[in-house]
Amino acid sequence: MVATSRSHTAPIAASRDLADLRREAVWLARYLIDVEPPTDLVERYVVANAKVLRETPTARDARILAFVHAHPWSLGWLDAGTALTRGAPLLRRKLVVMMAILEATPEFLEQTAPIDDAGIAALAWRLGRAGAKAAAKIVGGTLLAAVVVRT
Amino acid sequence: MSSDAVVDAIVVGSGPSAVNAAYPLVEAGLTVRMLDVGNRDATYAGTIPDGPFSELRRTDRDQHRYFLGEELEGIGFGHTGAGAQLTPPRQYVCKDTDRLQPIASNSFFPLQSLAEGGLGQAWGAGSPPFSAADLAGFPIGLDDLQPHYEVVADRIGISGARDDLMPFLGPMFAMQSPVEVDSNGEGILRRYAAQRRALNKTGVYLGHPRIAMLSRPHRGRLANRSWDMDFWSDAGKSVYRPTWTLDELKMFSNFSVVSRRLVRTFEERANGEVVVTAANVDGSGTEQHRARSLVLAAGTLGTTRIVLRSLSHFERAVPLVCNPHSYAALLNLNTLGEAVRDERHSMAQFCLVHAPEGHARPFTVGHFYSYRSLLLFRLMKDNPLPMRENLTIMRHLSPSFGVLILQHRDEPSSTKYCSLAEGDEAPLEIEYSLSAAEQLRNDAIEADIARGLRKLRCLKLKTMRPGHAASVHYAGTLPMSSKDVELTTDRDGRLHRTRRVYIADGSVFPSLPSKGLTFTMMANADRIGCHVRSALRA
Repeated sequence: MVATSRSHTAPIAASRDLADLRREAVWLARYLIDVEPPTDLVERYVVANAKVLRETPTARDARILAFVHAHPWSLGWLDAGTALTRGAPLLRRKLVVMMAILEATPEFLEQTAPIDDAGIAALAWRLGRAGAKAAAKIVGGTLLAAVVVRT
Repeated sequence: MSSDAVVDAIVVGSGPSAVNAAYPLVEAGLTVRMLDVGNRDATYAGTIPDGPFSELRRTDRDQHRYFLGEELEGIGFGHTGAGAQLTPPRQYVCKDTDRLQPIASNSFFPLQSLAEGGLGQAWGAGSPPFSAADLAGFPIGLDDLQPHYEVVADRIGISGARDDLMPFLGPMFAMQSPVEVDSNGEGILRRYAAQRRALNKTGVYLGHPRIAMLSRPHRGRLANRSWDMDFWSDAGKSVYRPTWTLDELKMFSNFSVVSRRLVRTFEERANGEVVVTAANVDGSGTEQHRARSLVLAAGTLGTTRIVLRSLSHFERAVPLVCNPHSYAALLNLNTLGEAVRDERHSMAQFCLVHAPEGHARPFTVGHFYSYRSLLLFRLMKDNPLPMRENLTIMRHLSPSFGVLILQHRDEPSSTKYCSLAEGDEAPLEIEYSLSAAEQLRNDAIEADIARGLRKLRCLKLKTMRPGHAASVHYAGTLPMSSKDVELTTDRDGRLHRTRRVYIADGSVFPSLPSKGLTFTMMANADRIGCHVRSALRA
């Protein structure tokens, strides 16, 4: 009986994990470059998780990830809140993996390729705006991450 | 040639030293057998389309297979150490080395190779020749090496220019004109031209690098097509790889290669023969090969293992040197916000020399690479900003990013050595640390160079120290010496206390100046090959 019970629960847990990863892939792509990733990219992300993100998450990583799954709006804030954390938190590594997948896809070249002809004024404005946004998100995100990790 | 036949020479290894040591022997009609593991790329060979980087990124739906890797091995989260620069299609060069060439160390994590062509298959192709000052203290001088530099330069194809770096790099008649510099490098070189006098006064000189890359067709290879794919693919064969020379050698009937063999030991017999014992890496047995002379060129660490094991010098410490490496991440303010040319090559764009005491005294050499032909996620993962804003910033700044790779000189000391324990599977144990004085000297040089870079309108963002073994220039374990001392070689590469065992790789260089070793190693291998040829004929 015990063996039968295990053989039933394992695939259920696995399929729930897969569904979570597929949802996660969509949130990450939306957050990074405002796109809905096609199915093949979502599956590539699922495979990538199995290949390069195999370690068991730390308690801190697990809490942050669970919060993002429960409240997808928090993704950007928690990314910012953990950006300064040493040792690449799991959320950050997942974002890097999705970024790599998006960059290596021709459809998203427009959103990911280097921009070399902005001109100095536009460049200064865009960098200033991105820097200000990043600073604000880091402040808010750090507070949110502290709350999420403690609860 | 039967594997039982006694050949004139056995060459161990197939890397840059091995093929160049073999060449003069084979050309002279002597029978040469090369023993080598000879791993090849079984995953990516032939899968990367022939086209420019920008076009592949625009059009190839399968680009993730080689840019990220079939096993996503291109997405790494580890420390930037030796080999961090290897793209997925280049990573096969290190295959099997953990298992077959184990290292035990807490401080030194070298890159080794059992690939056909050795580490040269993933080489950055920087080819600065040593100057007379660089060879001070060696039992050979520049006059001994110069003719072999010319022969090897013609064999492998070197491009460069006769510019401000001539006093540091020396003349070279066989040199092709330089390959065009990219927009990023061009902006800095323009600034240098405007500030030349002030910069030269502080000991900073810039010029075209000497690179083993073709600017015009040569020996069946194409000129660089400016496709920016040099880190990923060898299409066109513009950048030199030792397998190009190996292919030439294979055309000779007096040359043979026995692959999948890992040489364990050698023994000199009373009848003058050298007997080499090699393991079949695909099986469990060993076999013996006999020759009138032996040339070891299995890479410094591989050759050292073979020598220490053959002569039963277990637990005996031998010196080890390796250029300390640092990467300075730079933002080039000269080209910020400007459109850049798509056409470019991926290798070093210019060479920087820091020589406050002139060319006759030790100086420091660096090579500048633009951050192109790689994806941005590699930069973003190390930048502590939220990823969305990180992407915006990196997209705008990356066309003006560069990395100046500096290699400091290195001399042997009591804190840099390796030894081998007894047993076929025993690891090579390595201890390596710089003295406080060496570290201070290197830090002072880097600070001085950073001041020069500011005058060039290059802002240093970060210095990365990828670890002691990261330069992949390992040398000095069996140094050439004019004294007949055990575990050294004579000036012609013959291992002292042996009659016909020669060493032709980095092992024989007693110290390293601040220059890439590979080109000099190849020239010296050709010199040793010529000497072995004369000895065999005599």
